[in-house]
Amino acid sequence: MKNKSRTKLIVCFLALPLVHLLIFSYVPILANVGLSFTNWKGVGTPKWVGGRNYQKLLTDPQYIAMFKNCLWYFAVAVPQLLLAFVLAVVVNGKFRGLSIFKGILIIPYLLNGVIVSTIFIIFFNNSGTLNAILQFLGLGNFTQQWLQNLKLVNPSIASISIWRYYGMNFIMFFGALQTIPTELYEAAAVDGCTKLQEIRYISIPFIKKVLFINILLSVSGSIQVFEIPYIMMNGGNGTLTPVIQIQQSMRDNRVGFAAALAVMVFFIVLLAIGVQKLFIKEDNE
Amino acid sequence: MIRESRFYRIVRYVILVLASLFVIIPLVPLVFMAFKTGREYTETSVLAPPANWMNFYNFSYAIRVGELGKALFHTVIILGISLAVQILFTCMVSYVLHRFDFRGKKVVKTLFTLTMFIPAVTTQTVVFRMMYAAGLVNSMWSVVILYSGVGIIGIYIMLNLLDSISKELDEAALIDGAGYFYIFWKIVFPLLKPACTTLLILNGIGLYNDFYIPNLYLNKEVQTFTVALYKFFGSMSTPFEIVAAAILIGIVPIGIVFLCLQKYIYYSLAGAVKS
Repeated sequence: MKNKSRTKLIVCFLALPLVHLLIFSYVPILANVGLSFTNWKGVGTPKWVGGRNYQKLLTDPQYIAMFKNCLWYFAVAVPQLLLAFVLAVVVNGKFRGLSIFKGILIIPYLLNGVIVSTIFIIFFNNSGTLNAILQFLGLGNFTQQWLQNLKLVNPSIASISIWRYYGMNFIMFFGALQTIPTELYEAAAVDGCTKLQEIRYISIPFIKKVLFINILLSVSGSIQVFEIPYIMMNGGNGTLTPVIQIQQSMRDNRVGFAAALAVMVFFIVLLAIGVQKLFIKEDNE
Repeated sequence: MIRESRFYRIVRYVILVLASLFVIIPLVPLVFMAFKTGREYTETSVLAPPANWMNFYNFSYAIRVGELGKALFHTVIILGISLAVQILFTCMVSYVLHRFDFRGKKVVKTLFTLTMFIPAVTTQTVVFRMMYAAGLVNSMWSVVILYSGVGIIGIYIMLNLLDSISKELDEAALIDGAGYFYIFWKIVFPLLKPACTTLLILNGIGLYNDFYIPNLYLNKEVQTFTVALYKFFGSMSTPFEIVAAAILIGIVPIGIVFLCLQKYIYYSLAGAVKS
């Protein structure tokens, strides 16, 4: 009797969430792999085209550029993580004004892509905030057409990620630092450690795992960049990214091609995870 | 408590003030702009404050033309339903995974964990077709359904809390003749409240800010606040000072939630990191 009601509960509680999971995560991934070898247009029977979609993605300069753009977003992860780490270290303590600073520092994390895009359109415009500040500082020679100049547009837009996402890394580092027992710091203080030594020998080793997770998030984040270049530039002026391309191909009913691109994005993320797993394993040995 | 050197304390404030400026400076012109007249916008520098801080014309125009009220209403409905379903599902799945041993348990857990690594956008090629076939595109139900999935982070937060809820409670109730459903609903579920709050905050912020899904599935009739702002922003005919006002309005709900829940937000996020 009891066993029967137990089974009933397990089945009842798991059924819907599992069905959801299968339909919206696993079936699409498998279907994508199949569709990526076809030229399906969204209607009719898919026609097998072999690896043509992949071949196009890997050889057409237009599509290669799109993957190169992602590298900018990955490059800015370095200053982003550094900033987040420094802030997490200095905020980790008790001092006057702590909650005000914590409040300010988390603002960008709470704003959505449309808001951030608007803010940075104003920021990078020709008569925008950045150029106005440069003028004000007497650095008028350095003013640029940040969003029109083909050389500058991608680094400019990518640098927005620092502003937008450092807060997430910051909170994760902060959370990790909070798990360090205070006795460790006290012992270090007794031994006459400087703050820098303390960071080097206590803080960094303790948050290594979180650091790896953050790097992983940066890799998978930079291959999935969508909102900022889409909203600010509509993917134009050389700011195309793989996800914008997926969206556009879907709109043009090039489902087969979009699927191939989706599969590639998926594999790059998997690769990043694999590399990270490798590092963490080595670390444990 | 450890004494910190005076030098370090000064360095700390310098770093924090600089970082705060870094955050605030890009926001300032937006606030200025929202109060400027169209003429002022074209004629003054972005760094110049508006002549009249009581000029609310841009705000009223944005609310009227952008139908922001309607969008906010739809956002509340969509988020309300999705979050309720999602959190309830997360509690149910976590309860089963934590309290029972059964065949296939490992598989279930792995399936949930692996989704963390599936970028949501890569599934949309196929999911969009399914939604289209089901006639749900342009209906808010497509978004609600997609938002109702159980995430692994939520499960971890719940499992963490379940560790601290004594199993003896369940067993005692079982001996008293209570059914498993009754135990979950009357004993375990109420105790999961703190984790539910955490999830509500984390996923509430995430879903409110989501752009990809509602932009893909919703049209002008039903749209979320974020997409409404985007439509505003994307139409060339909207003057930019109006867009700025609309954006400021968009920040208000987040600001209110944030001010009320600041303590919990840090706690939740840090807690999520630990699990």
